[in-house]
Amino acid sequence: MGGSSETRAIECRGVGFTYPSVGSPSAEAALVGVTFDVREGERLGVLGPNGGGKSTLLKLILGELEPDAGTVRVCGTTPARARREGLVGYLPQRIGAGRAWPISVRQAVAMGVEVRVAPWKRSTARQRAAVDRALELVGIADLASRPVGRLSGGQLQRAMIARAIAIEPKLLVLDEPTVGVDVTGQRRFSELITRLHAELGLTVVTVSHELTTIAASSDRVACLRQSLHFHDAPKGLTPEVLAEVFRHDVEAVLGGEVHVDAHAAADFDDPTHTRGHTHGHSCGHDHGGGA
Amino acid sequence: MNTVRDLFQSGLYWPGVVVAVVVAVGAGLLSVPVVLRRLAFIGQGVSHAAFGGVGLAAVLGLAAGSAASDAGMLGVVAAFCIASALGISWLSDRSRVQTDTAIGIVLAVSMGVGFLLLRHAAEIAPPGARPPGVESVLFGSLLTVRWIDAILGGAAMAGVVVALWWLRRPMLFWAFDDSASGAFGVRDGVMKTMLLVLLAVTVIVTMKLAGIVLTTALLVLPGAIALRVSDRLGPVLWASVGAALLGVLGGIVVSLELDWQTGPAIVLVLAALYGVAWAGGAALRRAGS
Repeated sequence: MGGSSETRAIECRGVGFTYPSVGSPSAEAALVGVTFDVREGERLGVLGPNGGGKSTLLKLILGELEPDAGTVRVCGTTPARARREGLVGYLPQRIGAGRAWPISVRQAVAMGVEVRVAPWKRSTARQRAAVDRALELVGIADLASRPVGRLSGGQLQRAMIARAIAIEPKLLVLDEPTVGVDVTGQRRFSELITRLHAELGLTVVTVSHELTTIAASSDRVACLRQSLHFHDAPKGLTPEVLAEVFRHDVEAVLGGEVHVDAHAAADFDDPTHTRGHTHGHSCGHDHGGGA
Repeated sequence: MNTVRDLFQSGLYWPGVVVAVVVAVGAGLLSVPVVLRRLAFIGQGVSHAAFGGVGLAAVLGLAAGSAASDAGMLGVVAAFCIASALGISWLSDRSRVQTDTAIGIVLAVSMGVGFLLLRHAAEIAPPGARPPGVESVLFGSLLTVRWIDAILGGAAMAGVVVALWWLRRPMLFWAFDDSASGAFGVRDGVMKTMLLVLLAVTVIVTMKLAGIVLTTALLVLPGAIALRVSDRLGPVLWASVGAALLGVLGGIVVSLELDWQTGPAIVLVLAALYGVAWAGGAALRRAGS
């Protein structure tokens, strides 16, 4: 953690959260003692197994949940307020909601901006220009008038990213952005995020159980399994670290494919593994070369 | 025998026509999110809850036919419908299976209780009072619509349209993608509750005209027709309102000419429109490709 006094995009201090248990007296804490900072302009990857608390951490950052213990600050204010002020752009995990809607790409991208306009007003020229710019930045300006139902999965995801950056946020939060995306798609996604980060100076928090995604688009990686462990990406992600984070959850981590721990661990040391590896594998692709 | 000419000569039908027009606007607009968010079954549950409300109002003596008792009956039914909409919403926040089950239970219990209450009301009714017949409650009747219904219904539907306009942006975002709308500052719970309340209000106003069983049709068919015609939001909303207007007015004409119940006539006209839109849409797509 950096110790300077510059503004923090996110500040978590001793954050704990336990879901209220229904029926069972022994509720396990989702998060325990999570403390970390994200500097402005930094790209943080949060890596962890399914059920490791990633979604909970996101909901706390987005202000959809209140921590049981500790504090969460986003852009120097409360998460709910940061969200209300449009400081946080969000890409949901479930893409494809509402594809049957008779909505153009431009209308979908403008939604985040539009809900900030009073009912009796029209959006301003500046807001509409921000929507146009967002469409251009993600490279789908030529699709602006197409109905969302006629987009490919990748194009729709770009539209949803455009929706997030059209409100001109300071912080961009990406929730499992590459679930079900093939290797080429993952690479394109990482390139897009890298470009947006460079051009807009955004702070980016990516939450994923896919190491490829995290390693390719993060400066720093936090491994989350109830509590946080920090590493420089990607060289700090040693096999030992990953084995510890994912422990017995390797199968879940690998998207349901059956792999044994030994196999997964062996991959990390294998320098011949490259990005072209078509296995949809989450671990270790960039481990050797990304320093 | 009633004919369309009678409609213009006797004043009896005008309240029904007024209700038909205001209902078509509200139901036409709501129909689009109902179809796209798959709320048809909730609409069904809410409208059937009204049956219990009608029964209760009849037993309370609110079906005597005076303007005051009509307004009282509308109040009881409205309370029933809105409470059931909120109850279903509250349950659906818990788990998906429970939603369907909850709707099924509300629907069945309301129908059963409503039926018994209506029969009881007919037995205890003082001479001169006429509790509504089960058939007219279920399938609608133009003749049971009075001016008080038209005035209250008109005001209620004006409220629905204004609320939809006021909430159009957050409501559209929530309805389109509720996995993200919350993170963009939309109050998802408020949107969901508001949509259900607007749905319940529309159901209540539609009920006397189209009947409980067939009210769902007015919330489903216009949107389904419109989505066959266009894939642009503006045209879809206009087409949905247009289809609803054609359906209710065409249905009234048919019901008068053929001496059918109003509800079934409206549904059949809407179904015919759907067939035309389906065939026309398919032909357009073939021509376009």
